[in-house]
Amino acid sequence: MRGIFPICERDFIVSWRNISSDLLPTIVSPLTFFLAFGFGLQGYLSDIEGVPYTMFVVPGLVSMTAVTSAFDHGAWSLWFHRIVQKTINEYRVNPISVYEIVIGKILSGFLLGAIKGIVVAIILLFLINFQTSTGAESALGLLMDYSLVFSHLLFYLLFVFLGSMIFSCVGTMCGTVMDRPEDLNKIQGVVITPLVFLAGLFFPLSSFPSEVLPLIKLLPTTAIFEGARQALLQGRVESQYILELFVYAAVSFILAVIIFQKYIEE
Amino acid sequence: MAIILKNIRKVYKNIVAVDGISLNIEEGTVFGLLGPNGAGKTTLVKILTTITTPTSGEAYIHGYDIKKDSIKIRRIIGVVPQENNLDRYLTARENLTLHAKMQGMPRSEYNERVDYLLNMMGLFHRRNDFPDKFSGGMQRRLVIARALIHSPTVLFLDEPTTGLDPQSRRAVWEYIQSLKEKTTIFLTTHYMEEADQLCDRIVILDHGKALIDGTSASIKETLKGSDLYEVEFEPDFKPDPSQREFLYFISDNPYEENGSIRINLKDKKYLKPLIERIETKYIRGIRRLEPTLEDVFIHLTGRSIRD
Repeated sequence: MRGIFPICERDFIVSWRNISSDLLPTIVSPLTFFLAFGFGLQGYLSDIEGVPYTMFVVPGLVSMTAVTSAFDHGAWSLWFHRIVQKTINEYRVNPISVYEIVIGKILSGFLLGAIKGIVVAIILLFLINFQTSTGAESALGLLMDYSLVFSHLLFYLLFVFLGSMIFSCVGTMCGTVMDRPEDLNKIQGVVITPLVFLAGLFFPLSSFPSEVLPLIKLLPTTAIFEGARQALLQGRVESQYILELFVYAAVSFILAVIIFQKYIEE
Repeated sequence: MAIILKNIRKVYKNIVAVDGISLNIEEGTVFGLLGPNGAGKTTLVKILTTITTPTSGEAYIHGYDIKKDSIKIRRIIGVVPQENNLDRYLTARENLTLHAKMQGMPRSEYNERVDYLLNMMGLFHRRNDFPDKFSGGMQRRLVIARALIHSPTVLFLDEPTTGLDPQSRRAVWEYIQSLKEKTTIFLTTHYMEEADQLCDRIVILDHGKALIDGTSASIKETLKGSDLYEVEFEPDFKPDPSQREFLYFISDNPYEENGSIRINLKDKKYLKPLIERIETKYIRGIRRLEPTLEDVFIHLTGRSIRD
């Protein structure tokens, strides 16, 4: 397993070096959603499931940042190493297995995704604090109202980590099999965006017709966003979601490793 | 033996890239695989460096089987691929340390080695720069330094000087020659001069098959009895090497170089009638030539290595 650490370390060195240019687009997207939907629509919307709209969307926005960052890192990093720099072949002439390479890439993708999610969480909580301070209510106080305790946060992070893991694996698969950057963009537009928007990030799942709801609940993004939200705001961990995520994480990991090994050796 | 190949064959869909190559390469040899683009040189290097598996056949590096012992083999080989596959987001030094870490070297060992190699390659003063800022020659030297970090016993160099200017090419040749004593070197090239200068032993490869195997001198010896001439023409005369006048008297396809044509006569007696046929007024001079590796290649394949 000696190859995993240097590969992860390399990704962290490069990410740290490009932190200013990397972090800005990561923050801008969820921030835009938060300002447009959270602040913009808040006056027109009543509480959802007893939660103010801004608090309703924040857990999902944080999870969204984590999973999309994990996907981007997995897909683009591997594509770049394989097609542009051809550094994958340099990795492969060292005494490390393809498993170590792909695990190193998946790990760095999921950790970087999770870190970016946490950064976005801090910024959004700061904004909530700013918004509510005029009403003499701090973010911490608001969160405490929703029974945010340490265990809630741990369960919430479990959802974020599992989500990042799944999307890092999916990104790795895409970065392994796709040669053209346009195809990676298409995956983002055709698969990732619908998965994000259909998963009840901006609205409650009860809005879906009852016939469709079981299917929506099967989406990995639903399990991530809805599960994370319930864990954070209500301290409730729905077993179906957590089970789904473990299964998705295991399957996507195994697939990512098999696909990587098959394609790289060809 | 440093390298043993037994009837190695590699087929991509319907294309036979390597067609039954068998070789034994002794330790300390500078071995050159010479052939045009698409001859199968890179495929053979990829097989021996365990990046690709052969369709059939066996190969061993210092007794390790390429199919079963890939991890052990990667500990003892260094690879300089055709392209400069450096990480452009890491500095020159970081590129080398990443390789050392993947080789499992301890920090105390690799720090010294990295600095030594950067010095040896004349890159120490640029150690904190990114490879994008380097010239092609400097990038090549960095790739060679990276391949040497873990002191490999067998070094694979896939077209190490392609795309380099003559000065950088000479510098790379010097580095390769300096490694000769400690390392077995497996080099591919399509430069005749490079193979001639560096290699103790050469195999000419074409369409995945080994055409000839020997030292540069012994390979040239195969054309020793032949009659190679260079015919130089008047500047206003444009020779057409495919003319019947040429083809009747010569055994290999002639090729043109700087207004001259190199021809290999079927027999010495054909020189006079050939000159008469192409009109003497157009001929500025005729020189008898010693055969080169290029002549041997043309003799064996019927075409120039640059075709």
